[in-house]
Amino acid sequence: MPHILIVDDDREIRELLARFLERNRFRVTAVRDGREARRHWPLGHYQLVVLDLMLPGESGLDVARWLRTQSDIPIVMLTAMGEETDRIIGLELGADDYVPKPFNPRELLARIRAVLRRTSERAEKLVEPAAKAVRFSGWTLEPSRRRLLNPDGVEVALTGGEYDLLVALVERANRVLTRDMLLDLLRGRQAGPFDRAIDVAISRLRRKLEDDGRHAQLIKTVRGGGYVLAADIDRS
Amino acid sequence: MFWLPILTAAEAAERKRWWVAGWPHSLANRTLLTLLVGLVVVQAAGLTIHALDRIELQRFAELRDVGIRSMSIYRSAVATSVGERAAALKEMDLGPGVAAGIADAPPVAPELTSPPYVGQIRVNMQLVPVRGPNRPRTVEIRGAPWSDMIVVAMQFPDQGWLILHIPLPRPRPWHSPTFLLAFVLMTVAAAILSFWAVRRLTGPVGLLAEAAERLGRDVNAPPLPERGPDEVIRAAVAFNTMAARIRRFVQDRTFLLTAIGHDLRTPITRLKLRAEFIDDDEQRQKFMADLDELDAMVSATLVFGRDTADTEPAVAFDLVALLRTVLDDCADARPDSADALSFTGPAHLTVTGRILALKRSFANLVGNAVKYGDAARMTLSVSEGMATVVIEDNGPGLPPDELERIFEPFYRVEDSRNRETGGTGLGLPIARNILRAHGGDVVLGNRAGGGARAVVTIPT
Repeated sequence: MPHILIVDDDREIRELLARFLERNRFRVTAVRDGREARRHWPLGHYQLVVLDLMLPGESGLDVARWLRTQSDIPIVMLTAMGEETDRIIGLELGADDYVPKPFNPRELLARIRAVLRRTSERAEKLVEPAAKAVRFSGWTLEPSRRRLLNPDGVEVALTGGEYDLLVALVERANRVLTRDMLLDLLRGRQAGPFDRAIDVAISRLRRKLEDDGRHAQLIKTVRGGGYVLAADIDRS
Repeated sequence: MFWLPILTAAEAAERKRWWVAGWPHSLANRTLLTLLVGLVVVQAAGLTIHALDRIELQRFAELRDVGIRSMSIYRSAVATSVGERAAALKEMDLGPGVAAGIADAPPVAPELTSPPYVGQIRVNMQLVPVRGPNRPRTVEIRGAPWSDMIVVAMQFPDQGWLILHIPLPRPRPWHSPTFLLAFVLMTVAAAILSFWAVRRLTGPVGLLAEAAERLGRDVNAPPLPERGPDEVIRAAVAFNTMAARIRRFVQDRTFLLTAIGHDLRTPITRLKLRAEFIDDDEQRQKFMADLDELDAMVSATLVFGRDTADTEPAVAFDLVALLRTVLDDCADARPDSADALSFTGPAHLTVTGRILALKRSFANLVGNAVKYGDAARMTLSVSEGMATVVIEDNGPGLPPDELERIFEPFYRVEDSRNRETGGTGLGLPIARNILRAHGGDVVLGNRAGGGARAVVTIPT
């Protein structure tokens, strides 16, 4: 049973979230601020931290910075409503995902599961959230700002699902990603039927990467298997 | 950015009146025109005085010449005998244009009436010495004033009259090669000086207008430089003080809204968590939908209240990818309307702007189209540095008098249908605020075939 550390200053939210996650088969320790987090850190073997950005005293960013000095434990940040800059700073500091408050509990659950699956599956983390830039076939992926730049340096907007999908493909470039793996990524983001959502998301991503669907060069379809990103990855 | 003055109806009517048709619109041109007209009037007056002086002087010289010349001719003529006088006159060098003859009586011609001229001629005649007995008995000077011919009749002491027709050249007040050049140089120099001075004097007014325009777009625009003449400094200081007050007001409001937003998000989060413990699935879903609506309203109020311009940097991005993303997001959120969403336009279009803000703006417009019109057909076109995005739907459209009012915060079209569909009443004002901050705009209209049409413009 994965053990999750929740850091949030609101007692009710802590308790409700703990109950909700426990009901979904997680072990939960909930603390109110950075000081308590530090105190509880050596007491458990945590698999993930849910961290509120706005904490009294020491901010969530400071706590994230401290956690990063301890280990590369995945962090899901709870950010302020629509605060895009906080979100970007949080990702630059190495949060693996963010959920804006007030969040939908089921979406948070889906994100926690996706992050856990991602981190447990990969032996090496190719696309560090804090990485400045990853280049492939002229395109630039900036995980710290969650954005994609085309070969001319022009930003190309992606939906949240498309971004996650692209990150997954880039992380495992030249390796086949099964449809099940991709389904997990999109779970919690899509309202429609999942099996169709994968094909839709891939075709949208191909269009944005200017990859012709019928003669795809970048994101290739593997018959009966899934998809593969065929490109050399340049990390810098 | 061009600054176009906004005219009131009265001002517009005044401009149509004929007598103001030639009156320039800008302060600089008005001042310049006034100065130049004044300059011309002064120059004209100066020139007239100068010309009259010159005419007087030339006349004086000419009359002196007439006096001396006529007496000299008379002296030569009187020295010869009566019978030989006519012949002697013919031999004489009389001077250009002068005709001389002997007559028994003075000619019938009007007497020269201008006494100072007659006096001038007579005085100058005294300058030529003639011995006493030879002096003319009578001297008559005739000719119309200002005519170009003077008739001088002098009676010999013995017999007959000497009649002289002496041409009087017309006065030429402008006859000086340097005069015209000097005049032109003076006028041009004065005009250039006026032009420069006027530009300098009215420049600060334009700067003030530009600064006010900048402040309207960005409350953190740099202050006006406080230098120049006293009046300009005073205006700049007053303007900067006003800008600082507005900035503080906006900051206070932003702070207040952020605080409210922060305080609200905690209870909403709690409620969303509590909803997960409601066992009745239907009630839980409805509970969640209400909370999502509340959440959306709070977020929209926050976005509307907060100046997003100060946090997000402008970047170059592909507008087409952004528009497609907005449509894709909408299709994901409402899978049943996915087929009613479409995009037509070029494959790429790079523009510069705040990508998240613009995405929100388009998401609001597409959301409205889908919510009230069950479709969103997007068309992108580019011409003359402006990208135009048209978003059309299949709804009932809007009453014509609501098309502008709907952009007012919290305004709702009076239609019971819309109350059921909810919404924050801030989607369109937010969309317009963001687009206007980018130098663009959004207007709503009705399609000929029914349905509403939003027309968005963004500078490329």
